[in-house]
Amino acid sequence: MGNNVKGTPIVKGLGFNSFGIGTNACAVDIDEEQDKILRIRPFHFDEHQTPEELNAWKIEARGTTFEPGFKTLISPLSLCYKKRVYSKNRIPYPLKRVDWDPNGERNPGNRGTSGYVRISWDEATDLIAAEIKRVQDEYGPASILCELDGHGETKFVHAPHGCQSRMFDLIGRYTLQTRQPDSWEGWYWGAKHIWGMDPLGQNSLQNNVIKDIAENGDAVLFWGCDVETTPLGWGGYLASRLCFWFTELGIKQIHISPDVNYTNAVHADKWIPVKPNTDAAFQLAIAYTWIKEGLYDQEYLDTHAIGFDNFKYYVTGGEDGVPKTPKWAEAICGIPSYTIKAFARYWADHAVSIAHCNGGSFIRSCYAHEPARLEVALLGMQGVGKPGANQFKFIEWTLYGMESVTPLPPSSEIPDCSPAYRGWFRSFPESFIPKTMIPEAIMNPPVSWYGHIGAGFPREDQFDGPYTFPLEGNERLHMIWSDTPCWETCWNGGNEMQEALRHDSIEFVVVQHPWMENDCFFADVILPTNTKFETEDIGTDSDNGQWNLVYYERQAIKPRLESKSDMEAVGEVAKKLEKYGGIYEDLYNRYMGGKTCEEYIQAGFENTGAAQKMTFDEFKEKQYYAFPTKEDWESLPVGLSQFYEDPEGHPLSTPSGKLEYYSTRLAEAFPDDKERGPVPHWIDEGAGHQERQYLERGRKYPFLLVSNHPRWRVHANLDDVTWFREMEETCKVTGPDGYKYEPVWVHPTDAGIMGLETGDVVKIYNERGAVLGGVRVTERIMPGVVYQDHGSRVDSVVLGRGGLDRGGANNLIAPYATTSSHAFGEVTSGFLVNVGKVDVFQLAAEYPEAFNRDYDPACGLVATARVVEGA
Amino acid sequence: MGKVFVFDHAKCNGCRNCQIACKDEHVDNDWSPWAKPQPDTGQFWNRIEERVCGQVPKVKVSYVLHMCQHCGDAPCMAAAPDAVYRRDDGLVIVDPEKAKGRRELVEACPYGAIFWNEELEIPQKCTGCAHLVDAGEMPHCVDVCPHEAIWFGEEGEFPAEIAAAEPLVPERAAVDKPRVYYLNLPKRFLAGIVIDPEADEVITGAKVTAENLDTGDVLTTETDEFGDFWFLRVAEASWRVYVEADGYLTRAVDASTVDEDRNIGPIGLYES
Repeated sequence: MGNNVKGTPIVKGLGFNSFGIGTNACAVDIDEEQDKILRIRPFHFDEHQTPEELNAWKIEARGTTFEPGFKTLISPLSLCYKKRVYSKNRIPYPLKRVDWDPNGERNPGNRGTSGYVRISWDEATDLIAAEIKRVQDEYGPASILCELDGHGETKFVHAPHGCQSRMFDLIGRYTLQTRQPDSWEGWYWGAKHIWGMDPLGQNSLQNNVIKDIAENGDAVLFWGCDVETTPLGWGGYLASRLCFWFTELGIKQIHISPDVNYTNAVHADKWIPVKPNTDAAFQLAIAYTWIKEGLYDQEYLDTHAIGFDNFKYYVTGGEDGVPKTPKWAEAICGIPSYTIKAFARYWADHAVSIAHCNGGSFIRSCYAHEPARLEVALLGMQGVGKPGANQFKFIEWTLYGMESVTPLPPSSEIPDCSPAYRGWFRSFPESFIPKTMIPEAIMNPPVSWYGHIGAGFPREDQFDGPYTFPLEGNERLHMIWSDTPCWETCWNGGNEMQEALRHDSIEFVVVQHPWMENDCFFADVILPTNTKFETEDIGTDSDNGQWNLVYYERQAIKPRLESKSDMEAVGEVAKKLEKYGGIYEDLYNRYMGGKTCEEYIQAGFENTGAAQKMTFDEFKEKQYYAFPTKEDWESLPVGLSQFYEDPEGHPLSTPSGKLEYYSTRLAEAFPDDKERGPVPHWIDEGAGHQERQYLERGRKYPFLLVSNHPRWRVHANLDDVTWFREMEETCKVTGPDGYKYEPVWVHPTDAGIMGLETGDVVKIYNERGAVLGGVRVTERIMPGVVYQDHGSRVDSVVLGRGGLDRGGANNLIAPYATTSSHAFGEVTSGFLVNVGKVDVFQLAAEYPEAFNRDYDPACGLVATARVVEGA
Repeated sequence: MGKVFVFDHAKCNGCRNCQIACKDEHVDNDWSPWAKPQPDTGQFWNRIEERVCGQVPKVKVSYVLHMCQHCGDAPCMAAAPDAVYRRDDGLVIVDPEKAKGRRELVEACPYGAIFWNEELEIPQKCTGCAHLVDAGEMPHCVDVCPHEAIWFGEEGEFPAEIAAAEPLVPERAAVDKPRVYYLNLPKRFLAGIVIDPEADEVITGAKVTAENLDTGDVLTTETDEFGDFWFLRVAEASWRVYVEADGYLTRAVDASTVDEDRNIGPIGLYES
């Protein structure tokens, strides 16, 4: 025993980008003889390439040097992955809902409560093929909804997302659930209208910003930004290392958020607690202070901006008779007015940049477009683009294949293995529905909206439309195929979605997934897919910030249980459709595109510059190629410096080419929109949202909920990792019934008023429903605010609107309405709730079925919880 | 001489890579003769302790590594000389065969670093990943640290660090001679903000003097651009804090850092 200590090293990218944009390269040591994974460890760039070959970069400033190191800086979300592969929550075999009979009673209203019986792959794929044929014949192909986005494992050939849509492309299309810019809502819907910056509304000109800050910066504002948490599904800890370096350089790190997030906890020089989704009031008061005290750069605005007078008129109270003073803001955002003024003066007097990592109440709440564009308005007032003053990101450093979005030295190539990719063929079918509007589209069609609602579309697309579902002459939805079964726990108003999934109009739901969780419980047939450790593939990692690389992913172990890869699972259905002839003829071969897996891997490899450096056989032997740092990277223009120096020669992508404090396009397109007017405003409430503590609904639901990207998950992924769940002080809170509840942070003052102690179980609720959580009394959250991460697994007690969830999946009680009337984003943080202690034993007596599900505290709900023995 | 660990608290971001790597290395893997498999949950051969310090809005979180100290005079070895031994390289090993049934070893460790395996009926702990060390590798926890906050090597490689280090449990250090060396272990802070409530402004450049009422020691600082003052790495003590600024009446407030870090909160000064 124990002789094979080191094992055989292979490479796996343990990222969650889902559409083949790989990340988080790890070395994985396997024991081939025993068909097991020994360990996961950092990947080493210098195993086959020298520092010279990598053109190793470093940044020198103020007498210190920053070097990225030659191994990947992986996180626990990668290190834990064996637990995902061997989880007790893996779906063991194909399943059929016990009371779903395609030839008789379908009982759609029992979805979410019924159990499942084991069936064979043969039976499962027969059922799915027959349903596709029936629905297509009876209602037309657009009655089938494909849910195929989200953050599954990063895979190319065995792509977790969209394999089914690739098949449907060959047999008459489908309706696509389009993914709105969920990570970037406010910037996308708001900031684009003041500074352009397609595709996302965040600064897309970030080159050399880190070097610039290191040399010239005084401070970095972390506006709800959590470097220690949010990048981990995509990058590693290089961003964290940069924060340590900033400290060494004496660059002040100022955190503005309701919570002490994990970056604030370690790196902050100052924390300014702000109530969730009230940043816009704070920002307006900063602008007011600058205007009143003459602390902004009018000369810059004269040459770089339009409409500043409109903005100034609003800020100083001309428009609505309310000057946006620090005292006015204090009552809304909870920051003392003396601190607002001190902060405004500090900013005006120093070179200040703003850092982001996406997520949280700052950018995913109602009217999130306002804080996003106000941030740009403030940057503009201080001459954005001057030395040390930019906006940059600690995440997504090659997103959309853009070299300009990295603030670090770029590599010579962003490898693109798309010829290997077998998931969603990136085209838009005519029939599509924004993800945020799916429940309405199912239950109350028709629905309409503007734009394609896909992250990455250009600014102008927001004015395109209106679009409607269903298309004229088409039927409503009758079938759903999801490879992304986490709608309930990742989007807005999950309780409404539960009702939609149980709606009479939905005759068939099929889900493919490795783990029995969340929306799986609403499926009629479930196909067990597998993890990337069980398949052979190719991968890229271009988000580590060190060097971009392409790697060969050997199969680590044989497929577990009865699982097949996502690509294979859909292929099995394609085979079964062939018997219907006609459009289904030869479907499997057409779906496979005439290549074997090996050939796809090779095609992916050959699409990258690595193919100029080595043969495919060498690639498989060495298992990777890293792209050296770009030559002369120092000469890339710094951030917005070119716009700063020459706004006419280097215009922004706004209609005027300048910062638009008055957006001419918004004024033209939506002249009556009071929630997103041409000039950024403070919005109290509107038809869709009443989420302010100081207005009427705040009396009934007096707390604002912060829900960040989770510390110990990537959205809904990883909730079953036993090694995380046992960390009582951070991951879960064990209730008096032994169940591990999702933590709720409560400030000691609020806990005192409500008589709460750490370890108590509470319900967080509003009229949309309630979720349970385990109390952690802590100074990490400001008074009047409670905090619970999103993405905890749903464990429903009562389904639908007004329902109750034991798992703490607070998206279930997030607002149904989108960001604002013409912005179709999700609102999943910064909304009103109340909190009250519950007696879990009383609840257990009231709801014995829900509280007696097969549950393993170490892992949480296990797959067998829903399997009916012997049925 | 021999192998030692060094942990630098100032470099730790609390990621727990070390803790999870220990699980990754030892759960379901049998590294006999050094270690039998660790149970899936409940044992923490390597554990990060998390502590929230201070009060809104001056709050920090400290993370401290807890693991077998591979003591020079190990209490576990004294308790079971037949079952616990030191390798030539200094790593202390609980022999999984000879220690079978020796539950009392769990209690013998003053650092809480030994755990009982119910299923195998053995006490278990960190081996320093002796199996990897013998193969020329670093312990898994050290390899995965993104910030080089944990180092492992020959004692002679770290003379400066060892000279600057402090023990995790000072009162045990002389007896146990622990060989995990800690740098920058967390200390208390004392902080606040100075304001002029009538003008509704912070006061920058105010002189703040903190007198340790237990020892008479005096610390001084000035408020920054935000009116904040911070005394970092101070003693656990009772304090009298004097705040002076030109044109204002001097104020004194009492505060304690005995039980926890202290944010005094806003101290209002009034014009003289």
